[in-house]
Amino acid sequence: MSTEQAPTADAERKKHVISLDRHSPRYRLEFAELATEFHAKCPVAWNDTHGGYWFASGNNELFDIARRADVLSNDNDVDGVRNGYVGISIPPASASAGGKRQRGGFLEMDPPDQRYYRQALNPYLSPAAVARWKPVIEEITRACLDEVIESGRIDFVDDLANIVPAVFTLAMLGLPLKDWTVYCEPTHAAVYTPPGTPEYDRMRELQMVMGQHLMRNMLAVRADPRPGLINELLNVEIDGRRPDEMEVFGVVMLLIGGGFDTTTALTAHSLEWLSENPAERERLSRERDTLLDSATEEFLRFFTPAVGDGRTVSQDCVINGTEFKEGDRLWLSWAMANRDAKVFADPHHVQLDRKGNRHASFGLGIHRCIGSNVARSVFKTMVTAVMDRLPDYVCAPGGAVHYDTTGVINGMKHLPATFTPGRRLGPGLAETIERMQRVCDEQRLAEPITVRATTARL
Amino acid sequence: MKVRVDPQLCQGHTLCAMNAPDLFALRDEDGHAYALGEDVPADLEPQAKEAARSCPEQAVVLF
Repeated sequence: MSTEQAPTADAERKKHVISLDRHSPRYRLEFAELATEFHAKCPVAWNDTHGGYWFASGNNELFDIARRADVLSNDNDVDGVRNGYVGISIPPASASAGGKRQRGGFLEMDPPDQRYYRQALNPYLSPAAVARWKPVIEEITRACLDEVIESGRIDFVDDLANIVPAVFTLAMLGLPLKDWTVYCEPTHAAVYTPPGTPEYDRMRELQMVMGQHLMRNMLAVRADPRPGLINELLNVEIDGRRPDEMEVFGVVMLLIGGGFDTTTALTAHSLEWLSENPAERERLSRERDTLLDSATEEFLRFFTPAVGDGRTVSQDCVINGTEFKEGDRLWLSWAMANRDAKVFADPHHVQLDRKGNRHASFGLGIHRCIGSNVARSVFKTMVTAVMDRLPDYVCAPGGAVHYDTTGVINGMKHLPATFTPGRRLGPGLAETIERMQRVCDEQRLAEPITVRATTARL
Repeated sequence: MKVRVDPQLCQGHTLCAMNAPDLFALRDEDGHAYALGEDVPADLEPQAKEAARSCPEQAVVLF
């Protein structure tokens, strides 16, 4: 190939060019219009922002590309010892204080290592494994609502949807439940705080405290084993090797990052929508036995908490006519694929009883969200409890604070609401968390399903 | 009508068992799906079709 031909060939390859900064407010505010435009004109486009990368938004195109683990890599080669790929964030995540990027656990690995991790953790996170925890999830939810039920006021993010996923994730990890606050704020703030602001500095400080807390507790689990995901990770063999503490740390941070903000985002958006659509809320409450499953999938489709994932093309290939070159970066827009009219009729509207809802909100292919069953279970518990105990809640007009930008998570910071006050059913959150800790410890709830099959008894 | 789950394609999204609990089950250890039997009773054919339609990985095979 002559050097003169190369630019022309490259221009031909990237003939559909868009300029979309996913981290700009425009992406959030004009999301539906942009999705519709891309689906019609360029379901796979070359996005010339952030160094240039492929942007797959069409559902059928994304379906064909996303599952090609043979030609795509998630690797984040932080030590520069393989191909120098930079993982799943576009633009790449910035280096930490030590000057080195942190690898995002097995989501930034390829098989076979990625597969070993998932095989080790699946028995903690399968539908059967999560079902054992149902009474615990319900009890934490009950306590959160009891904290506010007499006041007639709630912030669905701060008082409910931030707390239940955080406490439950710590329970599965084998961390002290009472320390959920150490993890909660920095994990959410890391997603929405722009660099170069005082809030960012504060968030980094909280992250440091969280990191130290986690490392201390990992060492405590090693010294005095207690069941949970951390114990598994400290003892797991990955292709015949034992991962070091920094690698385990990265995996735990992936589980925390994945377990917290996404479920919060889904719950807040769904509760806001149900407030704006009271007839649908009544219908969902009344017909929950038949409607809650499909409604949950529809909220997942429509609000797509984790909006997409990046990949690096690992070898030259042609997929559906698009010519990809090794080293090209690629964005898989789960959120836009979920709004493709070729697969979803009337895609920009919520239909609680939607059929054929093969949404991509948990990703597609070998990296399917490993916590998807946790997300569904925690979400359903929270929404059901709100419908039962706050049946007439109304979100404060103009009170919802959405993330300014949704390049990573389609999240919400606050969602204040009012409702007719009700009666408490039991002790408050602190006392309940203390009790749940005892239940976790005594019944060894955080063991994998292969060790412990019975449901928690409260 | 017959049904099976392609184990090479299934990633454990669980929607088949959600839509057709009489036809599919999920493995305890990883949540991946399998068909309870190959033959689909006539009255469950709509369920089988919905399971196939809604599988994100298109791993449910009707034949």
